[in-house]
Amino acid sequence: MTLKSPSSHRRFFLKTTGVSLALPVLHSLSTKLLGAGTSLQATETKKSASPTRMVAIGNLLGFYQPSFFPTAPGPNYEMPRLLKPLAPHRKDFTLFSGLDHDHKGGHFAVHSFLSGVLLMDAKGRPDGNISMDQLAAESVGSLTRFPSLTIGSESGIHGGCKMCWTRSGTRVPPIPGPKQLFNKLFVDESTDNLAKSYDKFHLKGSILDAVLGDAKSLQRRIDREDREKLDEYFTSVRDVEKRLELSRHWADVPKPKPPITAPKNTNMVDDLPLLYDLIVLALQTDSTRIATLEIGGDFEARYFDIKKGYHALSHHGKLQENIDHLLVLEEYQMQQFSRFLERLKSVKEGDGTLLDHSMVLFGSGMANANSHTNKNLPVILAGGGFKHGEYKAIRRDESHHTPLSNLYVSMLQKFGMEVDQFGTSTGTLL
Amino acid sequence: MRPLIIIGIHLALQCGQTISAVDPEIFLDKYCLNCHDRDLQKGDRDFESLSFPIDGLPSIIKAQDIIDQLVLGEMPPQKAKAQPSEEEVTNLIAALTQQVGQARDSLESTGAQTVLRRLNRREYTNTIEDLLGLDLESFDPTRNFPTDQTAEHMDNIGDTLVTSGYLLDQYLEAADAVIEKVFSNLEKPKEENWRFRGNFYQGSELAYSHKRVFNYRYLCIYEVTDTPRQEGCYGYVNEFKTGVPADGLYEIQLLAHAKNRDHPYDDKIFGTDFAEPFRLGIVPGRDDAGLLHNSQPIEPLLDEVTVGDGEPKWHTMKVWLHEGQTPRFTFINGMESSRSAFSAIANRYKDHWPKGDFEGGIVDARRVVLEHGKMPHIRIHEVKIRGPIFNTWPPRKHQIILGDKPFRPERTREILKRFADRAYRRPATKEEIDNLMNVVKIRRAEGHSPMQAMKDALKAALCSPAFIYLAEPGRQQSKGEKLGAHDLASRLSYFLWSTMPDPELRALADSGEILKPAVLHQQMHRLLKDPRSEEFVAGFLDAWLNLRSLGDMPPDRDMFADYYTWSLESAFAEETRAFTRHLLENNRPIFDYLDSDYTVLNKSLAKHYELDTLLKEFDREPAKAHHFRKVSLANYPNRGGLIGMGSVLTVTANGIETSPVTRGVWILENIFGTPPAPPPDDVPPIDPDIRGATTIRDQLEKHREVTTCNECHRKIDPPGFALENFDPVGAWRTHYPAGRKQGPKIDASDQLSSGQAFSSIPEFKELLLNRKEPFARMLTERLLTYATGRRMEVLDRGDVDKIVKQLGQRGNGMQDLLELVTTSSLFQSP
Repeated sequence: MTLKSPSSHRRFFLKTTGVSLALPVLHSLSTKLLGAGTSLQATETKKSASPTRMVAIGNLLGFYQPSFFPTAPGPNYEMPRLLKPLAPHRKDFTLFSGLDHDHKGGHFAVHSFLSGVLLMDAKGRPDGNISMDQLAAESVGSLTRFPSLTIGSESGIHGGCKMCWTRSGTRVPPIPGPKQLFNKLFVDESTDNLAKSYDKFHLKGSILDAVLGDAKSLQRRIDREDREKLDEYFTSVRDVEKRLELSRHWADVPKPKPPITAPKNTNMVDDLPLLYDLIVLALQTDSTRIATLEIGGDFEARYFDIKKGYHALSHHGKLQENIDHLLVLEEYQMQQFSRFLERLKSVKEGDGTLLDHSMVLFGSGMANANSHTNKNLPVILAGGGFKHGEYKAIRRDESHHTPLSNLYVSMLQKFGMEVDQFGTSTGTLL
Repeated sequence: MRPLIIIGIHLALQCGQTISAVDPEIFLDKYCLNCHDRDLQKGDRDFESLSFPIDGLPSIIKAQDIIDQLVLGEMPPQKAKAQPSEEEVTNLIAALTQQVGQARDSLESTGAQTVLRRLNRREYTNTIEDLLGLDLESFDPTRNFPTDQTAEHMDNIGDTLVTSGYLLDQYLEAADAVIEKVFSNLEKPKEENWRFRGNFYQGSELAYSHKRVFNYRYLCIYEVTDTPRQEGCYGYVNEFKTGVPADGLYEIQLLAHAKNRDHPYDDKIFGTDFAEPFRLGIVPGRDDAGLLHNSQPIEPLLDEVTVGDGEPKWHTMKVWLHEGQTPRFTFINGMESSRSAFSAIANRYKDHWPKGDFEGGIVDARRVVLEHGKMPHIRIHEVKIRGPIFNTWPPRKHQIILGDKPFRPERTREILKRFADRAYRRPATKEEIDNLMNVVKIRRAEGHSPMQAMKDALKAALCSPAFIYLAEPGRQQSKGEKLGAHDLASRLSYFLWSTMPDPELRALADSGEILKPAVLHQQMHRLLKDPRSEEFVAGFLDAWLNLRSLGDMPPDRDMFADYYTWSLESAFAEETRAFTRHLLENNRPIFDYLDSDYTVLNKSLAKHYELDTLLKEFDREPAKAHHFRKVSLANYPNRGGLIGMGSVLTVTANGIETSPVTRGVWILENIFGTPPAPPPDDVPPIDPDIRGATTIRDQLEKHREVTTCNECHRKIDPPGFALENFDPVGAWRTHYPAGRKQGPKIDASDQLSSGQAFSSIPEFKELLLNRKEPFARMLTERLLTYATGRRMEVLDRGDVDKIVKQLGQRGNGMQDLLELVTTSSLFQSP
């Protein structure tokens, strides 16, 4: 059987419709922000011309390891098939092996990729199973219109990648496609809708006052265990009040002008480059500083004219025919990631490029899908001002384990947060 | 893989029961503390500070670490002088595992009390429906709610269900949506008539051929909706795509017939059973929710009719549509894929086409087959729509809130009081009504009408903790050990209906009558007989058997096409539910779950299970072949009982291959009631290799050669092997697949850890029937957990034992068990 070469595929038409605009939006936005409400003044000092950004991309089924990890570590490693698309960016990323969260649970453990903590273990931990992006988002707060953007889908095995979690153990609902992401980023509310939004803020405010009263009277009637549970409710009320404040502020600030026409949703395979482009725009316009992208259950093999399902191929049973098909799907993901890095590089910002100010994590919570293992995960870190260019093979056996969360601690520190611990970390990396 | 993870929550106690005494402190002192004491802490591990018995999370983690290292044989290191014997190691592992299990249990204990329980998503939806008189089948106010947290697959455990800021914000949004929906039309909307003939544009892929061959004269439906390409599975009226103007009941009339049920082609091309008449269904669609000829998030089957061959006839259906929804027509038992079928027919039957007419390619394949061939499909010639039809006005949803009188500003407090009394499932306090009146005051001050302000206060009630929590005063507060009348009524209602008490039950709570055992008993039977008890059947099976996860690991479309064409997923779930309903209605012994000489199924399942002699029964009335019925399995001893059901067999596989470990764990958990300890960290995983002769059995046998692995796997693997003849979707097989070829023969014989051997499914089921008591205990505990919204704990053991004993005396009937659960003191305590 002959495989269709992805490069001849129509999805590459996007190459020419991409974006390479230098938008002066950053400046005007910050001016507006400075004039805005007093509650935000305190955080203003943290704002600089080139803020640090964080992007994390994860897929559901990992990468075929023999074609992903080079044979020897160091700066002069030879690139196997799946890394080849990244050759132009060799100096801009670090490849890791030997990192993971020491979990098992196959597809379920994929959900812990960015948190390091399984949902079932979240209870009793001070930060639950909050993911790295959401922790970083808390520090950004209302400085940008969106504290973070979570892009992905609900479909797929056990609800898809499910990478992003709040500290209360709920999944951050993903933005499903380019159309919705575009609207979020660029489409302003009409005056009519805006008035409605303001009224909704008022309504929610008065409801919160009323239910807070109910909660206080309930508190007097119940037991200690119940009271602890009711505390969640009080915390939630405060949380919604904060959200309301944030929404009120940004409702006053117009969204940036869209540099491309509104896209339609097609399918995850064809939409992937478009989603990457929109992430670049979101970072470039400082609409957000944190974005995550899940390549999940709706990334399907049939869009490559491959009959077997992606999940079935990942259970390749070491059959060469299955592996060949699998590599087509994975290679495409690597090509699009490479194209994303290219785009980030092409945007000049301050004394460097957007990539210099954006740390980009790429990988998966799945290590070997054929055996459902989550040890030795595929992990690449690009950009962000780290020193790159190497393949770091970290020792991993029964007695040696370096938590992937150590890398996350380094990233969070680079992001400007004063943390020395995250998830199950035991130190830092890099 | 889910069971493997969930068992981490409740470690087995049975592991420790056969172990001779071993003192962990002596073991550690002898073999470990040389390096891992307070001073050295080699590898950052200090075990000197560990005290026994294990207690608290840090100690649990340390103890688990010790277990893992011992299982792997990594520690003590080779070079250490003092080496423990194999027996010492095994005993220590068992002792620590037991202690860790107990420590975890006490960590999770809620003191045998139900913790303030939030309504879960389905309870919220049902309650809103009853409270407001809305039809929410195709309008889901909870669509943005986060997934509910579960414990042991249960979705209604008080201390597990979390409330977050995000969820509270969603409560605010949902309350706004549903209250505005209640009052969306204050005036009766005018009834309208629409008629559509011709100009039936079809979804983009079919447009060319339909324009060219039919000039859009017909609306044609070809395939099932669960198909990857979705080219011809939804028929919709393009001129009516903006949908109906108002919520209401609509009459849909279709002039339609079945075309080419009798065709000259190979049946295999379609995957359809042409013995059955064609079934046409209606689902709602929204133009703003995605393409109308593709799947949309909300599309329940609203109604269906059977379409005959021959001349087109009028068919009438009445369905509830929400504003903006347009009806879409589906072909319930259509073909697997119209694209594949068009292509296969055009290419395989070239001699049917005029010479040189077919140019090749899928686009022309559609054209040539429609023009010259006999493609099976449902053909609609004309569509008439009438509505919204209201037999009474004002509608029930207005009456239910406003009463018989219209709204007047001075009635605001009275209306809010009436509503809050119902919403809070008990009389609302004066303070609570004052809080709602405050909302009215503020909204009036902000310039809203009295009516709008009243509506906004209703929304506040729906976000109040008094509504979203089942708040039972704890034992310290309530004088006795018993629930109050309103709390008991709610508990019964949420147990059997997953919704608020109906007026009859509420009246018995208001009068206090429900506290009388005879009344509770009578109400339990009334609720169980009501169709709403279907909520219990589905909700409980989702929790006990994890049927909720059916479809989480979708079977591969290439390997298991029938799963999609024959709608096996929903049929699987329905079989298990119908079976359970049969047990309930006839008070059949619960041991029918272990083995039975009957089941309840439809023709698709009978085909899937290869019950050939039963097919005739279904063919006697082809139009009813999809109806579920009780059938005898006298000739099919491999089926019968839970382990013969596709639901269980599919949910314990990953859609690609089977694993005796996963299925074995499932049986230990859900049939034996003895969940195994979770697997230790760092065990070498099984890397499936389907190239050569290594079978899963060879691989697992190697694993079991390790003593410490064998300790658990000798219990787990055998029941899993018993089911190996069932493939990942529960079909019977004799050989493993190897790519597209036949692989090694399956050996499903083994012996349980007790030494009892089996070599076939009937023999295995014999052994299951030897373990009736543990099964009865497990099922009782599961039911109690579901009924009370809390985990059963050691403290509850006495009560559980009592129920199991009484159940045995009464003949083990399923209805009796429910009665014993409801009338138990556990059920009636906070």
